[in-house]
Amino acid sequence: MKPGILIAGLAWAALTQVYGLAQTGKPGPNYTAPAPAKTIAIVGGKLLTITHGTMEDGTIVMSGGKIVTIGPSKTTKVPAGAEIFDAKGMTVYPGLFDAETSLGLTEVAADQNSNDLAETADEVEPQMHVADAFHAETVHIPVERLNGITNAIVAPASEDSIAGQDAAIQLYGRDHDEMLMQPDIALAMNFEGSVRRKANFNGPSKFPTTRMGLASQIRQAFLDAQAYEVERAAAAKPDHKGAPPKRDLKLEALLPYLHGEKPVVLGAYEGYEVEVAMSLAKEFHLKVILNHVTHAQDVLDEIASYHVPVIVGPIYDSPRPDERYDAVFSLPAELQKRGVKIALSSAGGGEGGSRNLPYAAGYAVAYGLPYDEGLKAITINPAEMFGLGDKLGSLDIGKTANVVVSNGDPLDVRTTVKQVYIEGNAVPMVSRQTLLRDEYMPLTTKKP
Amino acid sequence: MASLFSVFRHRSAPLFVAAIWAISITLTAQTPSSSTPGDVVIKNATVMTVTHGTIQHGSVWIHNGKIAGVGATVNAPSGAMTIDAAGKYVTPGIIDPHSHSALGDDINEATSPVTPSMMMIDAFDNRDKALYQALAGGVTTELLLHGSANMIGGQAVVIKNKFGMSRDEMLFPNAPRSIKFASGENPKRVYGRRGEVPSTRMGNFEVMRQAFEDAKAYMASWDAYNAKVAKNDKDAVAPKKDLKLEALADVLRGKLYVQIHCYRADEFLTEEAIAKEYGYKIRAFHHALEMYKVGDQIAPTGTGIATFADWWGFKDEAWDAIPWNAVMSMREGVRVALKSDSNDYVRRLNQEAGKMVHYGGATEEEALRMITLNAAWIIGVDDRVGSLDEGKDGDVVIWNMDPLSTYARVEKVYIDGDLFFDNSLPGFGTTHFSGAMHEAGFEGNDDEGDGQ
Repeated sequence: MKPGILIAGLAWAALTQVYGLAQTGKPGPNYTAPAPAKTIAIVGGKLLTITHGTMEDGTIVMSGGKIVTIGPSKTTKVPAGAEIFDAKGMTVYPGLFDAETSLGLTEVAADQNSNDLAETADEVEPQMHVADAFHAETVHIPVERLNGITNAIVAPASEDSIAGQDAAIQLYGRDHDEMLMQPDIALAMNFEGSVRRKANFNGPSKFPTTRMGLASQIRQAFLDAQAYEVERAAAAKPDHKGAPPKRDLKLEALLPYLHGEKPVVLGAYEGYEVEVAMSLAKEFHLKVILNHVTHAQDVLDEIASYHVPVIVGPIYDSPRPDERYDAVFSLPAELQKRGVKIALSSAGGGEGGSRNLPYAAGYAVAYGLPYDEGLKAITINPAEMFGLGDKLGSLDIGKTANVVVSNGDPLDVRTTVKQVYIEGNAVPMVSRQTLLRDEYMPLTTKKP
Repeated sequence: MASLFSVFRHRSAPLFVAAIWAISITLTAQTPSSSTPGDVVIKNATVMTVTHGTIQHGSVWIHNGKIAGVGATVNAPSGAMTIDAAGKYVTPGIIDPHSHSALGDDINEATSPVTPSMMMIDAFDNRDKALYQALAGGVTTELLLHGSANMIGGQAVVIKNKFGMSRDEMLFPNAPRSIKFASGENPKRVYGRRGEVPSTRMGNFEVMRQAFEDAKAYMASWDAYNAKVAKNDKDAVAPKKDLKLEALADVLRGKLYVQIHCYRADEFLTEEAIAKEYGYKIRAFHHALEMYKVGDQIAPTGTGIATFADWWGFKDEAWDAIPWNAVMSMREGVRVALKSDSNDYVRRLNQEAGKMVHYGGATEEEALRMITLNAAWIIGVDDRVGSLDEGKDGDVVIWNMDPLSTYARVEKVYIDGDLFFDNSLPGFGTTHFSGAMHEAGFEGNDDEGDGQ
């Protein structure tokens, strides 16, 4: 191919991806045909079901976007007319679920214009909805899903005490609305030293600058929300006189969490931060998913006693100078051993992106986490933590047909994903990166 | 201290807290071992030599710190210390050709785009915990580089990761000198926002050309002086010794390996053109995320690359990065190494190599070569380390399984035949370290401390 043509082709590929031209022009990687999903049978693979063990030679049938049949290949009937994917020698498992990402909130991290990561003017901003910023046509999503990530929580960056509300997404669909599974699925909270607005000897300082300030501000926010609810309830009574209270989006946003209807993802790193954060959460009866805890090795039993699930990591956080090199690598195992339900996320996992999520699980396995628990930490566990366990996270009849076929162990870095299905659709195994790869691949045959 | 804390990006414990803990663990630290055993034999292992295949049930014999035999059997003396490594894998020590570990917060002297007389050894902190964590990941040699704020940065230090030894004992003996160059977004950003040159890539390269013109004039003034001295001219006045120009002159004299941070395909070609114009060789492009686009053009120059396995998209110049870059560039004829540029990834370079099997179908030997022999070549020590061959340094890692697997853990690390890390030991697992580790305020990436 002539360089000119090559560049033009790449430019088109880039345009369709970046500006979502795919939907008006020819179908691109984010495009889902509106036609109902066909019936597809994945036959003869090793099925990692997550909920009921491993099936060495299994068949799974997907229809209408759901898993309709699963069983040993010998006894499982493939419906007539079904498209067949021969998975002999391959491994089949549910789509991976990343418990915390920035997908669709940032394109080029260094380019501020492409970032919608967090509002930082204030510490308490529960009225910020990441669903409002979610950029479905991001180039990142096709890249990540080629490694088998089919679902993710999109969360604001951890720069505020209450940073906003997370969204759950599916990594394939024709547009924002279709890919957004559930907006406002959880409240993103942080209690960590790095969050506070730094007092600066040379510049302005703004409350809060200490953990005392952070705690008091969080407490006040929830008290205000409770008072607002009382006031609102009073105004709703027939005998109420006077104007109802002005609608307060910020306080209103906290109410479902005060009622325990939805989870709060509570980020803390140090043991004492975990304790303070949990005491605040208990005070307001929040339904907690703990996040990070990477330097809380001294309070692991206490964490287990909370009976809350934990998103551990990034396990690549560096141990302290007085700790053994594997003090953080082994955290998932240490928590799981204590009966804690754990998930892993790719957040903070480095510049390789969310596609490295399965390898974090593999590394946790290398440092003591049982293999099955490693798989659960990136499938059923996060799905259940966020209330999506009935739809996602395992190969079970009735669940959304998010299924991955690979040439080996999903947690091994050497494994290649062959096909991803999302809602029973075969996702095009194409990303901006594969297009670049394919354009330049001819050079590799011209060895000097 | 305020300014120091303000640069923390990582949620690490503040330094003073770290120091207190560090003091408290002094009592439990390992005591240094006395001497290197004369003969060590690791037997019954799967031996991945890097240069001549993988030997099942093989042995590696280290004699007085050097590899004395590798094969199905070795002729070691009967009194040799023998390690039965049945079921284990043995590789050469992992080599990181791009690191900023153990340089405290002194990575970038970002006060001028040309600082070639900065010597990284002056910032080398041999008790940095990043070295220990890298050792536990099997890393035995590292090239510690200046950052990428400057077009022409400082001169690197090459270390052997003999954690617990003195600064001098950790230096790689007689390693070639390397100097760090950089182009693209980092120098543009650092100087551009101050209203200084360079703020563009035009500025980037003009700064370089001017520096070399200055160096040429300096060299000419010395040549003229030396010519006068040779003629016994009593009026000959020696020019003033200038550390900066002297270092640049050493680049032009071919005395320094030039290690260039840059990302884009056009920059590789421009850098090569400038190198040709001024008559120096480029040893390697670092990051080099777009090499797959022009590998066929760069291969004939002999310049290698030290790249990331799969980093991408974090800045504009990394937008076209693809994880197939390393293997494609290799197939285009370029010598390819993987590197960390990170205190995190340096701990698991074996996994980064494993990804090469996934992205592009490298063989296990090709993948392993990217973090051993090819990395050693970039540093210029490939005749001494980077493979399991007779006569090379006894830098050997024992793994619990195939090191390219996600599940692989390092069990033992030998450097010059001496055991430095043993996973089965309690505490840190170190054999020579005692006292307190230090913690840099940085994550070890090369755009840190550039004055942002």
